[in-house]
Amino acid sequence: MKSSVSTREMRRLYRTMVTIRKFETLAGELFAAGKIPGFIHLSIGQEASSVGVCSVLRPDDYIATTHRGHGHVIAKGGDLKKMIAELIGRKTGYCKGKGGSMHIADFSLGILGANGVVGGGFPIIIGAGLSIKLRHTDQVAVCFFGDGASNRGTFHEAMNMASIWKLPILFVCENNCYASTTPTSYACSVTNIAARAAGYNIPGVTVDGNDILAVREAAGKAVDRARRGEGPTLLENKTYRRRGHFEGDPQKYRTRAEVAEWEKNDPLLRFASVLKKKKLLTGEMEKEMQEGIAKELKEALAFAEQSEWPAPEEALEDMFINP
Amino acid sequence: MATTVIMPKLGLTMKEGTIEKWLKQEGDRVEKGEPLVEIITEKLNFQYESPASGILRKILHPEGKVVPVTTPIAIIAEEGEALPEFEAIQSEVPIEAPMPAAAAQGEIKEHRERIFASPFARKTAQEKGIDLSLLKGSGPGGRIIQTDVISAVERVQTEGAKPSVPPQKPADKLIPLKGIRKIIAQRMTESFRDTPHFYLSVEVDMSAVQDLKERVKDEVEKRAKVRLTLTDILVKVVARALKEHPIMNSRFEGDQIRLLEEINVGVAIALDDGLIVPVVHHADQKSLTEIASVIRNLTRRARRGKLTLEDVGGGTFTLSNMGMLGIDKINPIINPPECSILGVGRTVEKPVVQGGEIKIKPMAWFSLSSDHRIVDGAAAGLFLNHIHKIIENPDLLLV
Amino acid sequence: MPERMISCAVAICEALTEEMARDEAIFIIGEDLVAHGGIFGQFKGLPERFPGRVIDSPISESCIVGAGLGAALTGMRPLVDMHFADFVTCAMDEIVNQTAKIRYMFGGQVKVPLVIWAPDGAGLSAAAHHSQSLESWFIHAPGLKVVVPSEPADVKGLLKAAIRDDDPVIFFQHKKLFAREGPVPEGEHIVPLGKAAVKRPGGSVTILTYGSGFYMSMEAANELAGMGIEAEVIDLRTLKPLDFETIADSIKKTNRAVVVHEACLSGGFGAEVSARINSELFDYLDAPVLRVAAKDVPIPFSPRLENFVLPKVEDVIKAVRQVTYR
Repeated sequence: MKSSVSTREMRRLYRTMVTIRKFETLAGELFAAGKIPGFIHLSIGQEASSVGVCSVLRPDDYIATTHRGHGHVIAKGGDLKKMIAELIGRKTGYCKGKGGSMHIADFSLGILGANGVVGGGFPIIIGAGLSIKLRHTDQVAVCFFGDGASNRGTFHEAMNMASIWKLPILFVCENNCYASTTPTSYACSVTNIAARAAGYNIPGVTVDGNDILAVREAAGKAVDRARRGEGPTLLENKTYRRRGHFEGDPQKYRTRAEVAEWEKNDPLLRFASVLKKKKLLTGEMEKEMQEGIAKELKEALAFAEQSEWPAPEEALEDMFINP
Repeated sequence: MATTVIMPKLGLTMKEGTIEKWLKQEGDRVEKGEPLVEIITEKLNFQYESPASGILRKILHPEGKVVPVTTPIAIIAEEGEALPEFEAIQSEVPIEAPMPAAAAQGEIKEHRERIFASPFARKTAQEKGIDLSLLKGSGPGGRIIQTDVISAVERVQTEGAKPSVPPQKPADKLIPLKGIRKIIAQRMTESFRDTPHFYLSVEVDMSAVQDLKERVKDEVEKRAKVRLTLTDILVKVVARALKEHPIMNSRFEGDQIRLLEEINVGVAIALDDGLIVPVVHHADQKSLTEIASVIRNLTRRARRGKLTLEDVGGGTFTLSNMGMLGIDKINPIINPPECSILGVGRTVEKPVVQGGEIKIKPMAWFSLSSDHRIVDGAAAGLFLNHIHKIIENPDLLLV
Repeated sequence: MPERMISCAVAICEALTEEMARDEAIFIIGEDLVAHGGIFGQFKGLPERFPGRVIDSPISESCIVGAGLGAALTGMRPLVDMHFADFVTCAMDEIVNQTAKIRYMFGGQVKVPLVIWAPDGAGLSAAAHHSQSLESWFIHAPGLKVVVPSEPADVKGLLKAAIRDDDPVIFFQHKKLFAREGPVPEGEHIVPLGKAAVKRPGGSVTILTYGSGFYMSMEAANELAGMGIEAEVIDLRTLKPLDFETIADSIKKTNRAVVVHEACLSGGFGAEVSARINSELFDYLDAPVLRVAAKDVPIPFSPRLENFVLPKVEDVIKAVRQVTYR
């Protein structure tokens, strides 16, 4: 499978990961500068999981994402301008300033929204999967979630339901070793979350989540299965969250040494090295790519910062279609 | 050392007293034994003497205040001495404060700051120009409700008077209820309400008593230095009858009836500000002279406001002679806690039938009110009958 | 139109048959629906008539509601059957945090044409976990519409309206009323959401009620008429959005109101309505607004206990007499 990924696609994969990395870094800077109200949860270090999975999806496939969802949205094709505008609360944001970081959605791209409730996406993705079946299309629905969410009741209900109805769903667990301050090794009854799939008669696959090509391959197989009507798969991407649970997290639950160790396992560095070995990415290209992305982000930020704030009375709008 | 003046207990049953008048003001010098304050109890006005010498530093309760016995009412101390702390110095609205004009409907309304009315009633009252303070609410807790306002509107319409102005009467005189009047009002209400009265009357031939009076009045006057009156004789007769009908000389005590040892006949005297009943103690043991003397003394002192608690205490029966006021008959209210009261009307010459012949005789109505919890008609009737007998044959007093 | 007498259960079936025939996007999901057409027979005939569109689900309330929500977000118009209203608690996140908030939170990008249907109510000795009336919880979750009809005609009309509404509706239906019959017009019959109905006009007092409270109120009104008190009974039908105009018109006429509901007193819908009447109609009130409701205890099992706890006709009469000062 690795060999059959086109050069163009390889570069695109890399570029997308870099975009996510730069976006998240910018978001961190904006937050530190006091420009983002509330809190943000960055996915730096987990880029391969988002990009790897979304790279095998179609625009009409659905994803449900989480509070740590910027990467998923970008990987699915989200608009950087509207994202930043939403993060800083302007009316030009994806949700007109009503959602913020944790509730970004773009229904035109099948992004069914980021959820502030851990494990809140499972029931929704079941609905999407059921809807696909009832409408007899070959769409697929993907639920991104973390190791912590796999301990919620909704996970287990969803796994069972998806299994009995053979729903076209891909459950993607981004096991980043911690659920907020709680290590997975403490909270989860299994070492590999994928092992839980057996309890629901679903295939479970554990993958090195920082190896984008491995992720892509496993996701591709699961998506094909689903499209063929063979039912759901649980994909576990083993990765690591490089920043705190939220920006400003004192991170007393882990050591600097551990974080440093995982920095060596950086998905971008690893893939860049793969690309460079295959001579698909030169230093020049990389520089150009970086500058291009930086420019995009700069424009997106300018757009956002020049955008209007929502009028206070707008808080009363958008509840009902028929009030 | 500062002296705290307390409401004194002036009688066995006294529970509280009214501060009628401070005879000294704050800052005045007062000597021990000097009259300090006038106190009204159930029975009378009392001038309380200062228990210490010094400056009247603080008056703790104002005139008109009703205060339980032993409550501190003033502090006497020397200039500059430290005073003890008392809590109850806050002035409260005295109960005898003059009533606001709006309440002069014959009711005594409690002073209220808020009028409770439903919002809708308020709105309607405002629209129709009805003064809510004049209405009595028929809702729970006296809430004025819509129907009350509507009724008021209808009344105004039928009466044609302006609703927003209280009815104008030519200036009524207001007498605040205090002092003796207040006490009488209270006690008579209690008596009338709590004691089941029944009434017996008999018309008595007074000729024998009139004769007696003629025969002995000079002697009495010589000894007592006072004129003999019918009342004096009545007291003696009543005392004798009480001796022989002890059930009439008694007191109702809830679960028992106390037959009193002493026979102390109270004589009702009308003063300017009300009725007072000084008592002839041991009336059964006194001669006519003694009775006359005692009664005249009591009357004189009563008129000067100089009666003591002893003078008015201990009564076991009351006599009310309305003859001098020209009244034929009175059904008096029992003077609590006594069993009975005798009201005597004026003596009038009337034709009566005696021994089959019409004769002109001086007749007077004797009316006995009695407590039905203690006696029935028979017992009271026998008693009244006895009095009747003695009056018509005073020689029986010697027997 | 001639009116025939049918039960609430039949009214539900009719509504759904008509709607599901009209729109293929409508499906029903819940527990134990296929074998008997629902535990109250409310979906009788539908599984056969619309194969594959009445879906039995495992006991997974969160994902049942989620299934409805996710489907609503992706082009379908589902009706979710909660089995017993008491089990909404097992799906509170999906109802209150997700369904109610998604449209707003995402800036109006999407509509949520979901109906959550739940049989509720007491009086059948079903005890604490199968007898509750929980509608007031959902008044307190902005983003949901709340419907509680009482008569078969309203059940049918409001269910059709709810299904056609593009916003999420939670629809409570007293389980004792399934068998209750009432006149229902033939043909297309839709009752708009957000409109109360004055079902018995009167000038002495306004009775505001819904669900099972409606029948209690009508009975009370009949008895009160014998005492010369003419009660105006308003069946609220939709609790949110509330038809306050109809309420106001009535109270301006009668100057007093009693709210009657089977849900328990504290924090019940009566509290919300009273507060609103107090703030907006204060000067029209000749008496405080009283509420007739169940006592604040879980619903007990033994019939005597249950009967004691639930509000009764005499409670309504007593309250009316209090506010009319009779």
